Amino acid sequence: MRLSLNWLSHLVDIKGLSEEDIVNKTIKAGFEVEGVEHLGQGSDLVVGKVVECYDHPDSDHLHVTKVDIGDEVLDIVCGAPNCRTGIKVICAKVGAKLPGIEIKPSKIRGVASNGMLCSLLELGIEKELLSEDSPSLTGIEELGDEFKVGDTDILERLGLKDTILDIGLTANRSDALAMHAMAKEMAAILDREAHLPLYDGKSDIGEEGEFTLVSKSANCPHFLAKVVNHVTIKESPSWMREYLVSNGVKSINNVIDISNLVMLETGQPLHFYDLRTNPKREITVIDDYEGEYEALDGLTYQIEKGDLMITSEGKPAGIAGIMGGENTKILDDTPGIIIECALFDHARIRQTANRLGLQTEAALRFAKGLDPLAQKKAMDRAVDLLIEYADASGFEKTTEWGQSTYKPYTVSETVSHLNAVIGQQYRLEEVVDVFRRLDFKPEVTGECITCHIPSYRMNDIKIAEDLDEEVIRLLGYDNLKATLPLMPATCGELTKAQSTRRKIKDLLRARGLNETISYTLIDEEKKNKAFWPLGTAIALASPLSDDHKYIRTSLLYSMLESLNYNRDHDNKDVGLFEVSSLYAKDKEAGERLAIILNGSLERSPLMKLDVKSDFYVLKGIFKMMMEELGFEYGRYVIGKNDDDNTHFHPYQSAKIKFEGKTLGYFGKLHPNVLSDTKLNDVYYLEIDLLPLFEAKGAKTKAPLINRFPNIVRDIALVVKEEVKVEDLIKKINKASGKLLTKIEVFDVYRGEHIKEGYKSVTLRLIYESFDRTLTTSEVEDVHTRVLDLLNKEYDANLRQ
Amino acid sequence: MIDISVLESEALGSIKEVKDLKELEEVRLTYLSKKGRVQELMMQMRELPKEEKPAFGQKVNELKRTITESLKEKEESLKVVLMNEAMEKEKIDISLDAYTPSYGTLHPLTLMSEAIEDCFIGLGYQVAEGPEVELDYYNFEKANIPKGHPARDMQDTFYIDPVTLLRTHTTAIQMRVLEKAHGQMPIKLICPGKVYRRDNDDATHSHQFMQVEGLVVGEGITLADLKGTLQFMVDSLFGKGRAIRFRPSYFPFTEPSVEVDMSCHVCGGKGCPTCKGTGWIEILGSGMVHPNVLKMADIDPQKYSGFAFGVGIERLAMLKYGIRDIRDLYTNDVRFLKAFKRFD
Repeated sequence: MRLSLNWLSHLVDIKGLSEEDIVNKTIKAGFEVEGVEHLGQGSDLVVGKVVECYDHPDSDHLHVTKVDIGDEVLDIVCGAPNCRTGIKVICAKVGAKLPGIEIKPSKIRGVASNGMLCSLLELGIEKELLSEDSPSLTGIEELGDEFKVGDTDILERLGLKDTILDIGLTANRSDALAMHAMAKEMAAILDREAHLPLYDGKSDIGEEGEFTLVSKSANCPHFLAKVVNHVTIKESPSWMREYLVSNGVKSINNVIDISNLVMLETGQPLHFYDLRTNPKREITVIDDYEGEYEALDGLTYQIEKGDLMITSEGKPAGIAGIMGGENTKILDDTPGIIIECALFDHARIRQTANRLGLQTEAALRFAKGLDPLAQKKAMDRAVDLLIEYADASGFEKTTEWGQSTYKPYTVSETVSHLNAVIGQQYRLEEVVDVFRRLDFKPEVTGECITCHIPSYRMNDIKIAEDLDEEVIRLLGYDNLKATLPLMPATCGELTKAQSTRRKIKDLLRARGLNETISYTLIDEEKKNKAFWPLGTAIALASPLSDDHKYIRTSLLYSMLESLNYNRDHDNKDVGLFEVSSLYAKDKEAGERLAIILNGSLERSPLMKLDVKSDFYVLKGIFKMMMEELGFEYGRYVIGKNDDDNTHFHPYQSAKIKFEGKTLGYFGKLHPNVLSDTKLNDVYYLEIDLLPLFEAKGAKTKAPLINRFPNIVRDIALVVKEEVKVEDLIKKINKASGKLLTKIEVFDVYRGEHIKEGYKSVTLRLIYESFDRTLTTSEVEDVHTRVLDLLNKEYDANLRQ
Repeated sequence: MIDISVLESEALGSIKEVKDLKELEEVRLTYLSKKGRVQELMMQMRELPKEEKPAFGQKVNELKRTITESLKEKEESLKVVLMNEAMEKEKIDISLDAYTPSYGTLHPLTLMSEAIEDCFIGLGYQVAEGPEVELDYYNFEKANIPKGHPARDMQDTFYIDPVTLLRTHTTAIQMRVLEKAHGQMPIKLICPGKVYRRDNDDATHSHQFMQVEGLVVGEGITLADLKGTLQFMVDSLFGKGRAIRFRPSYFPFTEPSVEVDMSCHVCGGKGCPTCKGTGWIEILGSGMVHPNVLKMADIDPQKYSGFAFGVGIERLAMLKYGIRDIRDLYTNDVRFLKAFKRFD
């Protein structure tokens, strides 16, 4: 909202308070001042009279003038078409500071110019706020006879010397949208007296008339209408125009200005209809209209069922609470009017206004909620102003549909409860004084204070704690102590899932990978081609864009997008991981880990070290992670991936099973998956984390360190290509008994000296005993047995 | 007759002249081998009168010992020289960085979130989580935001159907835990997680972001306790010396509600572009748990009270690290990610 300090000064005594003081106190009381705007700006302005004016010899539009400013006569070159001898003007002297410029002595095309004649636009007044015939729109401002040459208080007298606080209101303080309620609030904040105009009961006048008023919608529970048979359309008084201008409302004529002013004062939007457009004297509110409707702004809107419409004789006359109709608006010759003051449901108005994109001042106020007594207050004030400023007469009695739902109520609080909530030691008197300032009419019984809540604060003040906030808000937070809660000791710790998640992240980070966080919401294409989806994707009811329409059910395409972004920005050797929850329509929520690798995992050219990311690197990282979490190979098994050959390379991917159930997949991505990118050789892993969060890892035990020497035997076996190294190792373990304690794979070789279709596998076998030094012959026996078996089972021969 | 002392000075002189181990061995052989000069002396002893023999023998032995020691000494010194020569050949350019072990990073939002969690774990809080696909009931109804409440405007929501939505705040987690507590006190929670609002992405808005909310419910909890707790958090995240101040605000689930400002960590409160010249930076919203929220969770507001606060992780991370565009946090450019090596 915009709070004009000029307007405020007419309602609350703010003498002696600096602008800074007012701003600070307003902020501290809970009204966020987002900006301070000075309406008309300019120093060193003086009223001047053009005493001489002739055309500039070197220009087709400039005038050379002499301007009398009282104590001297200035030479000023002016380009305004309306500049002429005899008019009174706003003259900015040399040294004057206007928005964006400072006036300096100069020569314009050879003629000296010591000052500037100003348009109001040059003093920072928005074009929209000037009346259509204002000279400032095309030239310089012309001042009336009331201004004397040499006067310097021009902006003040034009009502343009004003400071506007731009206040961001919290959702509970829609009452502040009514200037008269805000004035009371400011009086409370500043601890000054408020002097509001008195208009209570002003609309209780009028002859009996005939008026039919019906609401056919529960969303319009209260409606007041009043016929005013005679009004005179003319210009508004200057003070009214100023107040409107300060709120960014353009002045049109006295009657329309009154409807706008009353809305600004009371918060109640009201609407005036030209009496001629409603000969039947009938208004019906409906909510089942469907079709197009042309509103006051000349645009056509599509009205749907549920939208509230004002109708007369079955024809629409306005979009209720939002905008009137083109067909019923006040014209220059409007002889009389119908005043509408109604209460429309806030949620309903918000919905319609949002859909139509029509955020009018009226819609804004309805949507935020009104003072339940505002309909009557607004009617009173409108009648009051119409009589005074529009020569209104011929009033008929107010017609009322329904009634105000408001019932006076009280809220009580004790000082001890207040102090217990805040943690301060307030005294009864200072608390009571806050409620007095707020006009809550406090009554004290013992330490209990009972407050009579004004109707305009009804939406906000309901319980004792609401009163507590009022107290500390106005007494100030600055002196609030800082203590720590005194309560029974509790142990803070992470759950198993939380600590496991952290451990996984730390392990992967230590391996050189970078954690990513990507968007949960994805587009339709990504949804459709999801890898190993958790379930059926959840769609948003009203997405903001096509890019963010569905909740992802797998992480592959998010990871790929991050990788591809880096590829496109020339970031090579990328290893990323992400941990994220996943959701699906038909499944419990899941949580997964994804890893994506491209380029080298580790590279130091000077060391001739280059660990290129591949299947085995990814497998190693995964196995390291599982081992660190306490899961030995065996509890999980890595086997062939027969499930998905569309996202994964059919010959370089694997499926992981954990305790018999699918945990996830990893391997090289299928070239088809990368076809839209410039990427190749991308390795990817996606696993379910929930089983790892739930399962218990093996207990760490100290190992037995052997005090006897071991015997090492290296063997190079030539076997057929299809023999898996894992199977060889299994067989060796089986055949060798207890003495063989470790097998290392040294080399897998294909090529020269090895027959096509065969490979050479070099293994290092380590034999040891924990209770004696082994003899060569002992080992030789076992070793021979192993070789024989391998020869028998796999046709394995020692490489010559 | 060979004179012992002459032989001694001759031998020691030769040893002194030696240049390498090979020469040294030659010298050793010349004097100490079976046919060496010292052995020759021993031969002379036979010709000496009996009474002179022991003294002579003693002298020869002494000579032998002197030469042996000298040889040994020379050998040691030659070895040192050799070793030094060998090492000199191994001279390297120590200014080179030949090996750079790779070390990855956690996402800055993870760093910030974990730092907040750890700060409160130290105060005895539990870390609670909840679903991002949430019921309107926990996200709004239980948080004292019934249908049609103007506060629903404050948080434009991604609905999935009329009763399900993407949670707009981690308050939903608190509501679930409060319900589950069945009145078991005290409650000390810290709730981190992703949240979603129907906002267009720009430099300062993101349709997805992260929050951490805190909740304490127990006997005699005051607004002053909230201030002390938040001061502790600010000290822990931004270092000691930051002041905090409360400003009245409005949240439907707290009453009184406050916005919390921290004295600017860049200028120390003097005023700079980061704090827009005010010396203060808004960091979070908080307040005393609304009695309606407690009642809805079957907790007696006459007996118990509590406070709650909610922090935007992005906001804190952006402030702490000087991140200018919130979208940088979701682009996952490794040049950006690699900068966040630790929480400091």
